[in-house]
Amino acid sequence: MSLHTALVKIEEEKITSEKAKKFIISMNNGAESIFIGKVRNKNSGKKVLAVTYDSHDQAVIKSFNLICNNAKNKFDKNAKIFLEHAKGYVPVGEISILIAVGSGHRDEAFKICRYILEEVKHQSPIWKKEHYADGKEEWLPGHSLRSKKEIK
Amino acid sequence: MQIELKLYGSSKILSDQDSMNIELPNNSNIEKLREILSKIISEKNLKSNLENLTRTAAFFSEKDEIVNDNYKLKDKESISIIPPIGGG
Repeated sequence: MSLHTALVKIEEEKITSEKAKKFIISMNNGAESIFIGKVRNKNSGKKVLAVTYDSHDQAVIKSFNLICNNAKNKFDKNAKIFLEHAKGYVPVGEISILIAVGSGHRDEAFKICRYILEEVKHQSPIWKKEHYADGKEEWLPGHSLRSKKEIK
Repeated sequence: MQIELKLYGSSKILSDQDSMNIELPNNSNIEKLREILSKIISEKNLKSNLENLTRTAAFFSEKDEIVNDNYKLKDKESISIIPPIGGG
């Protein structure tokens, strides 16, 4: 098995780099690249306490598998890829996304990691609601899945 | 006719439930749904929060595929509204 993708309900389970490292390990690979995205404590001058991630679960998993398979076809067919994204209420400092790639060489490992991150941001139906220290909360703007031509 | 609109992201401001039922004229398409949604947003005084939603949102069919504005809706159909996305 060379691909693992999942949405992780943070109230029930945590995303850990240990699990990812174990998954991608292979004697065939000379490079491992791991990207960890975390909830940070400020955004646009506001003090952030947490982020709630909402998702269209079935479409997200479909998009994750498509993105990862595209990455393999583009950069390294033998790469091992682990991709998990959080769902639910994630406090500051906790992991929101983890991408781990095992590949023959460093260039492919870095490229696959970056490619997956950017594609997830533009293709996977996931939304963020920030919770602020002053008690307010706000859904963040994002990337429309409609083409510019369609948005009148 | 009536459809079930499943709510995601910022569209959840429209209801305290995960979905809402919307009455539409028979043979309505997605374009009509956008128009009715705009009215609902105005009636609920949510224009400041959801000003661009009806222009920028995509819609998924029950097969989790994007449907275009000409897509004909069926009575009791379930449709997901997909506001602009931004995970990571």
